[in-house]
Amino acid sequence: MDMKTRQNRQPPQSVKGRRKSKFQADLAPAENRMVRGLKQELQLSSNTDFLSDALALFHWAVRERRLGHRIFSETGTGERKELVLPRLERVAPELALPRVEISWTARELESLAALVSREPAEPTETLRRAMRG
Amino acid sequence: MLIRRLEEQDQVELFNCGDEPLNNYLRRHAWSNQEKSSIGVTYVAIDEAAPRTVLGYFTLATASVPREAFPKKYVRGLPPYDLPLILLARLAVDRRFSGKGLGHFLISEAFRISLRVAEDVGCRGVLADVYRDRITWYARYGFVALEGSAPDGPQRMFLDIRTIRRALKGSP
Repeated sequence: MDMKTRQNRQPPQSVKGRRKSKFQADLAPAENRMVRGLKQELQLSSNTDFLSDALALFHWAVRERRLGHRIFSETGTGERKELVLPRLERVAPELALPRVEISWTARELESLAALVSREPAEPTETLRRAMRG
Repeated sequence: MLIRRLEEQDQVELFNCGDEPLNNYLRRHAWSNQEKSSIGVTYVAIDEAAPRTVLGYFTLATASVPREAFPKKYVRGLPPYDLPLILLARLAVDRRFSGKGLGHFLISEAFRISLRVAEDVGCRGVLADVYRDRITWYARYGFVALEGSAPDGPQRMFLDIRTIRRALKGSP
């Protein structure tokens, strides 16, 4: 299977005012098998339907995580597993720290450069206690 | 007791840590800086019995030092990128709860968030501009004073993220 992610370079065709794009992806054999298996299991006949459903699911997950919601699966007995994807965590609000500009003196920069150039210090007992809590 | 992001309905007017600039920041600026200007994210400690009363807070932001800003003799030993940092911009505890370990609780959470940020997007250390009479308290956590801070202003201090990571890994 050859799912393509490259955007179609043809001039966009207007279909009732909507533009469609073609996607192309080079999949490893294992991923290719996974796609085929999922399509069969979900009774999806085309790659377009597969991509469309996958996109909807991913879009929902990003939206939920952006709102700060966590995503779990729950078994019949109430056992829960959290879905954690590094890419999703990037949009989570608790990690969306804004960026600020800091002014530095030349000596502060020299001092900082010396600190980051050397091996990190061993944690103090207070720091260890902080991370144990 | 739990720590979460500041929310608009939180009661901040009665917060009093004994330092007017820190009180004023929470009362007047923390919410708008977080939600409108995106300058810093404020985390508050609350008691579940009174979930809108702020007992203490800290504010975090990210920053970076351009590689070319460092003195030439150090540049060769540094990675070929700007140095990403987390700024612990403010940390304060309401007077009514001082001496009960709330500052420790707050800074512990700030370290955990810093580690998560480092894990997800990269960060080399935590920076804090510290009141002179609080230097010893920060030094207990391993913060090192940078030379060259103005003697009449706050002391700039740095803690390497790898030291924090070691502290976490060393935990049972």
